[in-house]
Amino acid sequence: MTHKRVLIIDDEETIQTVVQFGIKLAAGWEVLTASSGLKGIQTAQTEQPDVILLDVMMPDMDGIATFKELQACPEIQQIPVILLTAKAQTADKRQFNDLGVSGVITKPFNSLDLPEQISRILHW
Amino acid sequence: MKILLVEDDEALIAILTRNLAAQHYVVDAVQDGEMGWSYGSTFEYDLIVLDLVLPKLDGISLCQRFRAEGYTTPILLLTAQDNSTAKVQGLDAGADDYVVKPFDQAELIARIRALLRRGSTQPFPLLTCGNLLLDPSTCEVSYGGQPLVLTTKEYELLELLLRDSQHVLSTDEILDRLWSSEKFPSEATVRSHIRRVRHKLVAAGAPPDFIATLHGRGYYLKALEPGADIEAPAFNARFSSNEPTSSRHSSSGDSSAAIDILSEALPAADQALSARLQPESQQQYLAFLNETWRTTQPKCLEQIGILLQALTDLQDDRLSRQQQTQAQQAAHKLAGTLGIFGLTQAMHLSRQLENWLCSSEALHSKQADLMQTLAIALQQEIANTQTIRSSQLPGGLPLLLVVSADVEFNQSLVPVAIDRGMRIKIAPNEMALVEEPLPDVILFRFPPHALDEPDRPDASELWQTLQAYVHRYPTLPILVVGDRGELSDRLKIVRSGGNFFLESSVVPDQVISAAVRLLHSSNLSARVMIVDDDQNWLHMLPTLLKPWGFKVTTLADPQQFLTVLQAVTPDLLVLDVDMPHINGFELCQILRSDPDWQRLPVLFLSVLTDAASQSQAFKVGADDYLCKPIMGIELANRILRRLQRVRAWAS
Repeated sequence: MTHKRVLIIDDEETIQTVVQFGIKLAAGWEVLTASSGLKGIQTAQTEQPDVILLDVMMPDMDGIATFKELQACPEIQQIPVILLTAKAQTADKRQFNDLGVSGVITKPFNSLDLPEQISRILHW
Repeated sequence: MKILLVEDDEALIAILTRNLAAQHYVVDAVQDGEMGWSYGSTFEYDLIVLDLVLPKLDGISLCQRFRAEGYTTPILLLTAQDNSTAKVQGLDAGADDYVVKPFDQAELIARIRALLRRGSTQPFPLLTCGNLLLDPSTCEVSYGGQPLVLTTKEYELLELLLRDSQHVLSTDEILDRLWSSEKFPSEATVRSHIRRVRHKLVAAGAPPDFIATLHGRGYYLKALEPGADIEAPAFNARFSSNEPTSSRHSSSGDSSAAIDILSEALPAADQALSARLQPESQQQYLAFLNETWRTTQPKCLEQIGILLQALTDLQDDRLSRQQQTQAQQAAHKLAGTLGIFGLTQAMHLSRQLENWLCSSEALHSKQADLMQTLAIALQQEIANTQTIRSSQLPGGLPLLLVVSADVEFNQSLVPVAIDRGMRIKIAPNEMALVEEPLPDVILFRFPPHALDEPDRPDASELWQTLQAYVHRYPTLPILVVGDRGELSDRLKIVRSGGNFFLESSVVPDQVISAAVRLLHSSNLSARVMIVDDDQNWLHMLPTLLKPWGFKVTTLADPQQFLTVLQAVTPDLLVLDVDMPHINGFELCQILRSDPDWQRLPVLFLSVLTDAASQSQAFKVGADDYLCKPIMGIELANRILRRLQRVRAWAS
């Protein structure tokens, strides 16, 4: 598997830190972080990551709104987006699929498993 | 070339990262000393650039820590102090070079280049075959990143097979090359050495035929098929077969001797793909989580403070909309944060609170009691979590540490432990114990006669280690296996803190069953839910029970019973009898008619002392009946005894 760059957009700093460490440890991938939808969009534009992990529940601009914004930008709309969501929201999976996200990863997760889960979703 | 930059000045990080990237260096930047340690001790770097003044752990201490732990990676210090004392201190701490701020970028990069050149000379090439790695310069051998503990002869045997990996070596050839001409070992000696090395390799995850036999010809190393070998190293760069797994040198000889055995029973494909099952990754991840938890826990408790304040205001009917939003955000943050540490129970409680708080309808003061009950339960979950254990993490397996020099005994435990869903780590001597991570259960195997001759050096060290563990981790379950079960021995074990004793004649299955049982009963902070309309009792009981470490949830309104029960998922329930609307007997009947809760232990605690009430309680399914007033110790003992019985039955 080649080197990948992952952008995680999550308002929780601890989640960013742990995911960054876990993915790096498990697969050696680079992980970029953003604490809000708006910052995430900017980072996606400048860094062009291979995949975006997007938290659904964020204050101000939530994951769905952020996804729609990402889709509206021609230079980043091709980047696959995987939503991070709590179990309780699993019922919404169909809605997420209809939106056009590449997949959903349920919280809580073990960050060491993320590279495997991402690879499986995106057929890397 | 990879460089770790530990620097708290963001502007400097940006400039340095850009300049180093222009020179084709890959840079990982972290902003405090503890993160520097986490990254530096986990990932491979060719050079570490350290600022002297750092939050959490200063550059000198970090440098000393790397060197004390045997890391030989070149270290370059950055500092604003241009005096010889600081320089001497830095170099004495183990740094290789020193640059004073403000510095010329070109000079810094030239110094980095010079250090990297110096470090690149490898006096001896590494010997590898598949995932097996032997470093002749340090005499360290590892398979798939796991260190192997070998005797001198076993080491020589592997080195021979590695150096001559293109040939099949006959028993005679091995005898000639490994034993001096004065000695006359038999072919059986070679075979027994081969057998022992094979065992150790298998324990580290190698296929059983990694040392393959060509009948009538001899032995050779059989690496995996190239196709099969590709995925594992690619998935986990640390375990690549072609590069050294670590520049770390064992600082105390035997301290790296612990072998972590995990999952050879799993299909190879699953093993390759599941990085979390790689013991080294799992341990490093766990260490990182624990490090992060130390700083996260106080922040979580602050969020709880916000929540509780909001709930107090709600009780007084003066919760503003803004405060409610703030409390909802606190609950949301908690749910996310706690989930990543595997604290699922606490995460569910936070989420439940968040759902109520984000409701568009105005909250009523009536709801405050219920929410406060859950918020206090949540606070206890957080406050009582001192360590994050691997068994808590999604997909995590509990870790059994076996302190034993008895190879045969150790080997016999491995397949059974794996079969029962445990990871097993073997420490042949107590030196290995200083290493993280903390196990979930620990087993001490006392050598023959160690119990009747406690003053023997090996026995006394083992006793000391046992006591040190008990002192440091009082809740860690400890299993002792020894060859004598005299009353005096058993007494000494119990007095030293051992929780369970088995005689050495037991079969592996019994040993692992005992470990599993201890593991289940080790979650000492059992959740106890108390339903009582007497507010005075409710306030007093958590304090009475506190010394026993229970997580106590109190509920005054029986009408909220099911909601709280499902949110808290207690291990035991204490019920009052007389309560408004629904009495304790009825609550008990509700439980006994529910498939999910019918086995939950129920203790009645009531002012009613008459025989009829007691008889009624047992009739509706009570496990015990106690009368008020009661001493804390008596209630705690009844609770503990009941929990132990239930767990013994369950196992």
